[in-house]
Amino acid sequence: MNWRRLNHSLHRDIGFLCIGLTLLYALSGIAVNHMHDWNANYSIEQFNLQIDPLPPGVVNSAQVQQILRQLGETKISKKHFQPDPENLWLYADKRMIRIHLPSGNVQAEKSQRRPFWYRLNFLHLNHAKQAWTWVADIYAGGLFLLALTGMLLLPKRADLKRRALMLCLGGIVIPVFFLFIYY
Amino acid sequence: MRKTVALTLTALMLSLSVVSVMAKTFGDGVILEKMTSVSELLENGDAYVGQRVQVRGMIVDVCASRGCWVYVAGEKPFEKIRVKVKDGEIVFPLEARGIEAVVEGTLEKFDLSREEVIQRKRHHAEEQGEEFDPSTVTGGETFFQIRGLGALIEGI
Repeated sequence: MNWRRLNHSLHRDIGFLCIGLTLLYALSGIAVNHMHDWNANYSIEQFNLQIDPLPPGVVNSAQVQQILRQLGETKISKKHFQPDPENLWLYADKRMIRIHLPSGNVQAEKSQRRPFWYRLNFLHLNHAKQAWTWVADIYAGGLFLLALTGMLLLPKRADLKRRALMLCLGGIVIPVFFLFIYY
Repeated sequence: MRKTVALTLTALMLSLSVVSVMAKTFGDGVILEKMTSVSELLENGDAYVGQRVQVRGMIVDVCASRGCWVYVAGEKPFEKIRVKVKDGEIVFPLEARGIEAVVEGTLEKFDLSREEVIQRKRHHAEEQGEEFDPSTVTGGETFFQIRGLGALIEGI
């Protein structure tokens, strides 16, 4: 087997091996980049309600029960917190309810994990740690080899060779250009 | 080729939907034996700056977009302390809100000007998808924050 054929085989097989992980990292990469525009991990629904106003101050458990009755809540936990005398936060399974006591304005928030995206980001951002770190490292090594073997796949035709070199150079120049602009 | 791509995508989606990771320990976990109250840190924080401390209390709020901070309630009314972790190193789940936790980290002190407070609160509001009115900030702020290193959250 000559070196060209070996290089081609290596490039092809590493490429196949990297398909799954590349899709994972690419999809999650876009999601993570745009986290400020779209929360890929959770879908959060917010809705407003109204209860009778209450005077500012430390809310006691009887008042919390009274609020819960007004909200028609039965499954909500009794846990609550006041960040200041005017506001009360209540907690329930996957929900948080913020109440502004003097106005009686209630902002309820229901959050739910996006099963696919949450897990994708979990792996991409290496929250799993442990053995997954090795998998990610091996994948990075695979990409490195893919780039090296890719560079050696230069076509024989002169016009294609020129195009290949231009594209290769473009891939190097783009990050350098942005480093020059932003760094 | 089309078949290979379809099979790969299906395998990826199936494997991701089957795996379910419910971690209770975050980061280094908890290693200190002594707990310090949130009240103590807020009132006498200068004595603890730079030290690793452990606090216990209910998590009252979590960063909705990156899970990179939580607020832990104190023992007295209206008290809470922010625990900030390095993005990606520890990710607190939104489900931690309203749950008791033990959190450890290094205490930090911040002296912010009015402009810095506005910048910080604007960023916070963006993260949480809330509205922010800069005119509500009247001056600079001095506060303590824990640089989170580990946590133990029950029932997640």
